[in-house]
Amino acid sequence: MSLFDGLRYRLGAVIRPSRRARDIGREIAFHLELDAEQRAHASAGTLSRGDARIAARRAFGNPTYMQEEARRMTAVEWLDSVKRDLAFAARTFARAPGFTAAVVVSLGLGIGANAAIFSALQAMLLRPLPFSEPDRLVDVGLTRAGNPNRPAADDIVWSYPKFAMLRDAQHVFSNVGLYSADPVTVNGGGGTAERVDGEVVGGRYFKTLTVLPIVGRLFAPEELDRVGAPPTVIVSEGLWQRRFDADPSVIGRTLDIDGARHTIIGVMPSSFTGLSGRADVWMPIAAEYPAELTATWDLSFTMVARLAPGVTLAQAQDAVKTLGARIDAATPYPSARERWGASARPLDATRVDARVRRSLLVVAYAAALMLLAMTANVAGLLLVRAKRREHEIAMRVALGAGRARLIRQLLTESLLLSLAGGVAAFALAAAGVKLLSAFNPAASLRVQNLGGLGVVSFSRIRLDDFTLLAAGTLALITGLLFGLVPAMHATRASLAAGTRGRHGRSPRRALGIRGRGALSALEIALAIVLVTGSGLMLRSLRKLTDVNPGFDASRTLTMRLNLLADSSAVRASTSYYDRLLMGARATPGVTSAALTACPPLNGGCNRTFVELLDRPPVSSNDEPIVGVHWVTPGWFALARVPVLRGRDFSRGDVAGTRRAVIISQSAARALWPGQDPIGRPVRVGQGGFGKDTGLVVGVVGDVRYRSLDSAAAPDFYLPFAQSPRPAAVLFLRTAGDPDALRAPAERLVRDIDPKIPAFDVRTMDARAGDATAQARFGAILITLFAAMALLLATLGVYTVISSTVSTRMREIGIRVALGATRARVSWLAVTDGALVVLVGTVLGILAAFWSTRLLGALLFDVASSDPTTFVATIALLAVAAMTAAIAPLRRAARADPMTVLRQE
Amino acid sequence: MTPSSASGTRAALGPGTLEMLVLKTLDAGTMHGYAIAQYLERLSHDVLSVEQGSLYPALERLQAKGWVTSKWAQSPTGRQARYYTITASGRKQLGTKKTEYDRIALAIARVMRST
Repeated sequence: MSLFDGLRYRLGAVIRPSRRARDIGREIAFHLELDAEQRAHASAGTLSRGDARIAARRAFGNPTYMQEEARRMTAVEWLDSVKRDLAFAARTFARAPGFTAAVVVSLGLGIGANAAIFSALQAMLLRPLPFSEPDRLVDVGLTRAGNPNRPAADDIVWSYPKFAMLRDAQHVFSNVGLYSADPVTVNGGGGTAERVDGEVVGGRYFKTLTVLPIVGRLFAPEELDRVGAPPTVIVSEGLWQRRFDADPSVIGRTLDIDGARHTIIGVMPSSFTGLSGRADVWMPIAAEYPAELTATWDLSFTMVARLAPGVTLAQAQDAVKTLGARIDAATPYPSARERWGASARPLDATRVDARVRRSLLVVAYAAALMLLAMTANVAGLLLVRAKRREHEIAMRVALGAGRARLIRQLLTESLLLSLAGGVAAFALAAAGVKLLSAFNPAASLRVQNLGGLGVVSFSRIRLDDFTLLAAGTLALITGLLFGLVPAMHATRASLAAGTRGRHGRSPRRALGIRGRGALSALEIALAIVLVTGSGLMLRSLRKLTDVNPGFDASRTLTMRLNLLADSSAVRASTSYYDRLLMGARATPGVTSAALTACPPLNGGCNRTFVELLDRPPVSSNDEPIVGVHWVTPGWFALARVPVLRGRDFSRGDVAGTRRAVIISQSAARALWPGQDPIGRPVRVGQGGFGKDTGLVVGVVGDVRYRSLDSAAAPDFYLPFAQSPRPAAVLFLRTAGDPDALRAPAERLVRDIDPKIPAFDVRTMDARAGDATAQARFGAILITLFAAMALLLATLGVYTVISSTVSTRMREIGIRVALGATRARVSWLAVTDGALVVLVGTVLGILAAFWSTRLLGALLFDVASSDPTTFVATIALLAVAAMTAAIAPLRRAARADPMTVLRQE
Repeated sequence: MTPSSASGTRAALGPGTLEMLVLKTLDAGTMHGYAIAQYLERLSHDVLSVEQGSLYPALERLQAKGWVTSKWAQSPTGRQARYYTITASGRKQLGTKKTEYDRIALAIARVMRST
């Protein structure tokens, strides 16, 4: 109890120090007053009131001292002085707002940007995948040896029979599973028709990943691998909430998937969205695609496996290789002898594509360089500040301040700065991460081959404890290191050195300038590396956006449609499309409407073989592979793809008439070099030609279907009316804002058939923008970092020249007095700066040559040692350095000997 | 009472001793700071006349240790004064101090009377 009395008493002193001080003051006043009264009373009138008071004071001792002593007793003195230090530091900063802002902003930007980028890196590359024991998961793929016609390939997807052979023969995995992304249209439950991502699965997909449903059960073995089982489905927690209000009695109810009723047997937790990234439904392969169970060469499924206990990755890789050869012997490639096999790699290695990995690392590298430049800048600022305060500190030492006390004061200032910088960094990092999570990778990075695991990883970007801790530590260390060193240094200054005068040239002072010079050279070198990198990225981006994609994306709205995939729907598709196009053309604002099967810049479209019937037949292995597209008449005109020869499809090209084929310019050049392709007879795979022959009726311009940086390949176009397809992309061109067509077009689709949703509704401009998203992302970030680094370098040069001028003002004054010319004096002032710039530039160019090689694979049509960029960088640096020199030079040149000398 | 004699006495009176005397004083009952000072002076016949102000740091220290508590109340003259009361642990401390003091005083007395 009494212990608490004491604690409470101490606490009161900490919390309300002013009240405590007032109490003691009042008490002492009471004491003095009472004592004076008593004395006056006792003297019976011989002592005046004033004398009585003086006597009381004498008996009491020094009241102020006693008051201080009393306050010290409650041991709050230490805290009290910390508070005083903080208040003093705050006042010091308020007096130098420029300096304070520069340090806080530097720390905030440097550490904040790094924390945000590290968070992304952490989620995309470092943090383990969200499955139990993710390092035991393995990706198994088929391999194909190269031949003169086709390059070698590994990590090819599987057919079900080949998978079944591996599954039954292997002993290295505890579980193996198969999956394939399968987007579907969902109806039923609450809500309208919805297009969702799904997966068809086989083997022990869920058991391999060790995920369990939160409601219901997994697929039973007979549902997974036997043809004829009733259709069943497992749904995601998200879909369960959206369409079934998270009703636990959902098990046994039905969901309409692509027009077929499926019984719901389980609900997956929201933490699991499948290896394809965003799945909402899972169905057994056997029930959805029974023909796949026996189609040996239908390669469409990705295999995932879990290492059996005690088996190492190397052992599994050996076993898979052996099994691959056995599978190839049992199921050889049909028409020609091609050697196939199988290989395994950690699942983690497949999570992001090499290019995405590379650009993340490049951005992280650039951010780290910028952080280094920021740190150098902060160190320089603190160093210069410590120099400036040498005088003040020496004075305080002379007045009796203890060294430890002074260092504590200076450290308090550094830590306060670090804290402010840390808070700024945290705010920036949080904003950056929020920006990243607002970004929908599935829509925007599709073209960059961000795989399912990449999407899974991307969705997990957040500011984690580790990043925050690292950022906090970094802020603290920067503050301590660059606060402590100058503090020790400055307090060592003797009274004589410090008070000798502001412009005395002590050796230490020269050292300070040299330190600042070295930091400044470092900043210049870093700026050169970053500016060069940014220049290369920008040039590459410019070349990329200058690429003619072969079509006009402006004022066009696009949306995908998938007819329910039963055969009668496909046969009926022509009439559906006719009604759709008729309705679309009647929609106000629409100037033209047409369909295609695969939009440009899609990251790739269907490819197939083609038989050229005007020449002797070749083995099916040697038939040319081309891109195959389906369009309606008018699509070329709508997308402004020029018809170079012959004609567009017409309303007369319908089922029952001669099949018409249009080819791209590249196809004409590759297949009929120097000849007229019009009228040539062909048979195109996937077109449902059977024994029919099609005739080439036209040649159109090349369109980049894959990406801007991969050249157009030979393409063949077929009319929808002659080769029905269940999937299409509706293109609408308008004279106004294409986004304004969104609502009426979606209503139109719903009115024609409420069970068929329009999805992926985006302007063609947005699609084209996605094609440069990755290049833009990297270029913009690195350019931002480069701009900051350049600014810092300029400030650094300014500080060096400026402090040279300040320090040598007296010397300059004397020289001017002795008749030195302005030019001579200016040179004197600028030599230090010039040396710094020279050293920094040489170092920077060497570092840039080495660093920009990292960019190599990310650059489009620009060499990483591009001389133009390097020359431009040096020119930019030169301009920046000269700008920095102007103000201090003018100060030196204007030096008036009388004024300068009188200041001493 | 001259200042020099006061300072001489003060040197002989360490903070620990003053605390002990204050605790002993408060053992007799609740009183304010000035009263404590008067009491000490009177009882010691002015020999232990401490610099009165040093009483207050001692009182703060005693409160921080939880041996004494204080409360503001009206004094008989109508002014607000801070009244100090010894706590249970303060009494315990006083006991310990007293035993210790007796032992040392006895020891010193033995040494001084020898020869």
